Amino acid sequence: MIPAAWICLFSPLAAALVITLWGTRLSRRGAGYIATLSVGVSFVAALVTFALLLGDKPDDRSHYSTAWRWLTAGSFHAGLRILVDPLSVFMMLIVAGVGCLIVAYSIGYMDGDDEERRYFAYMALFVFSMLLLVQSGNLLLLLAGWGLVGLSSYLLIGHWHERPTAVAAAKKAFVMNAFGDATMALALFLLIQRTGSLDFEVVFPAAGSFGGWAANLVALGLLGGAVAKSAQLPLQTWLPDAMEGPTPVSALIHAATMVTAGVYLIVRTHALFEAAPRVLELSAGLGALTLLLAGLIALVQVDIKRVIAYSTMSQIGYMFLAAGIGAYANAMFHLMTHAFFKALLFMAAGIVIHALAAEQDMRKMGGLRSFLPWTYVAFGVGALSLAGIPPFSGFFSKDSILAAALANNGWYGDLLWVAGLIGTFLTGLYTFRMLFMVFWGEPSAFVREHFHPLERDVPGLALGVPVAVLAVLSAVGGFLQFAGVWTPVSNWLEPVAPSLVDASGVQEAVSSVLGVLLGAAGIGVAWWIYAARRASAPRTLPVLVHKFYFDELYDALFYRPAVWLAHALLRWIEQPLVFGSLREIADGVRGLGTETRRIQTGLVRTYVLAIAASLAVVMVVFVVVR
Amino acid sequence: MMGPDVVWYLCVSAFLFCTGALGVLIRRSPLIVLLSLEIMLNGANLALIAFSRYHGNGDGQIFALAVMAVAAAEVVVGLGLIVAMARRRLDLDVDRLRTLRG
Repeated sequence: MIPAAWICLFSPLAAALVITLWGTRLSRRGAGYIATLSVGVSFVAALVTFALLLGDKPDDRSHYSTAWRWLTAGSFHAGLRILVDPLSVFMMLIVAGVGCLIVAYSIGYMDGDDEERRYFAYMALFVFSMLLLVQSGNLLLLLAGWGLVGLSSYLLIGHWHERPTAVAAAKKAFVMNAFGDATMALALFLLIQRTGSLDFEVVFPAAGSFGGWAANLVALGLLGGAVAKSAQLPLQTWLPDAMEGPTPVSALIHAATMVTAGVYLIVRTHALFEAAPRVLELSAGLGALTLLLAGLIALVQVDIKRVIAYSTMSQIGYMFLAAGIGAYANAMFHLMTHAFFKALLFMAAGIVIHALAAEQDMRKMGGLRSFLPWTYVAFGVGALSLAGIPPFSGFFSKDSILAAALANNGWYGDLLWVAGLIGTFLTGLYTFRMLFMVFWGEPSAFVREHFHPLERDVPGLALGVPVAVLAVLSAVGGFLQFAGVWTPVSNWLEPVAPSLVDASGVQEAVSSVLGVLLGAAGIGVAWWIYAARRASAPRTLPVLVHKFYFDELYDALFYRPAVWLAHALLRWIEQPLVFGSLREIADGVRGLGTETRRIQTGLVRTYVLAIAASLAVVMVVFVVVR
Repeated sequence: MMGPDVVWYLCVSAFLFCTGALGVLIRRSPLIVLLSLEIMLNGANLALIAFSRYHGNGDGQIFALAVMAVAAAEVVVGLGLIVAMARRRLDLDVDRLRTLRG
């Protein structure tokens, strides 16, 4: 199983290198095939690893493999080392599986783009980075994967680099992520200082002996990284802007890679977080706050991709909530179902955008039900799944998170539970507002004018088939685990991340019923306003349109002071001191030269006289001093 | 065979040197300047030989021979320059040859 895991890791990197090195000798579509094939190979290798791991005893499923010692500094060693255990295999399957479908979809979506080869090389690099992140056997390699994911997302969000907004969005994502990388690196430094190692099996057992402040600082640093990568409060502002990238990139960022990394990190390093319970609670609180705020903001967005982006933030909020109360398996299960239905929603939205000549404004859409019936069905499956309506997958995963929150003793758990329930109502409302605005009603003039259907050729099939596969997965994926009855996912992950909470049957039932009712209520309100049009849409609050003023706040807090400081330094330091002193020095040298020039008469006799006179002076001095 | 004291020789040598130096400083023809330079060198040669005889060893005389050889070489170059200047019809006046003025 170890060779299969290595193949899984390096296959996408090989594809990225091949596409880069062959360059224009490779046809554009050939690059797409190579990238898809490589990620497909990764997925098959992950399946093989999974099958072989199933043969081991549950307590004996962690296997390390070190290729070589990568970095040595004094007594500190870090190797190129991968870990194969239930958690990493779980993530490998999601990343490679959903990633493969998304890359295949890109063949259709990016067809005819000027820089397809570059795009596919970056996509393969992105999948490799994420696989490195989830497969690494020590925290240093994990941080390397973490940084590579940030780099790939930067490259892909800014893929259309002739658009200034795309470049700005890429920069924003990179800076926000770099902040998280920095806090994480600081946490790792502290860990090295405490334990002298970054290997999982050394660091995690030692977590209990750090003492209060060190444990808290380590957990806070890791949480900072997780929050930045997963776009949770207060570092969430990059995610909606990242919609400037191509739609499959959004799907990849939101479903298979990148934003789920934060959840994975918390689950992977749960021993470090459990040593700092307050920080764990903080992450649950941040998750709850994010899921509410993102849900509220999604209500007023008019760009179809941005609505889905905010729903991602909201769903990741659920995962943070679950991870924060110690329901790790529930978080990972929701991560999986979310990967299915969010990739589905993005790719279905991508088909809509593709069919409408790159238009993303929902106000111009409408009535697409009759134009794109199959896309409508697929989008509907994704939306029902997102809203948590049984029997679609979101129902199973989201409600078990709510039950876990209820089972978490104390007022804090109840508060989280209430926040999660409000979140389900908002989810139903914004999801179906989007669905009704896009697919229901009368076709608008814009749609009639710009619509062009998918062809039955390679690009058309590349768009259609992955969506169909994901629609099936979203519809039935939830049956992998039915809380209280049938729990293979929890059993599989239990040896790596034992759950801290255990919901009773009553709590499961209450949460499920309330969650479904509230989700359905959200759908009903959306239908009332946007489909039946019995009530006019309420006035949009400015605070929601401005996304709770986070961009404005950061602008005022960081950007403006920085610009002001730069201007002040230019005005008061640079201009008078640096430029001034340079000018003075130059003037002085020139003046000195002008004076010296006068000595150079060009008359031989003056030179001779000068030589004779100085010789006489030297002789006199010599004689007198003697 | 004692002859005059070494001081006499040095006086003649100093007189020759000063004459030459004065010539270099105040004459304007390059030919005369070159001539005056030779006089200065010969003054120095005379001092070298006088000291050589006074101390009774031959080093100074060897030095004087070397100076003469160098002086001959220098005259070749100097006269060559002067001939070249004359052929290009430049002024044979050191005060006018001041293109190196800063």
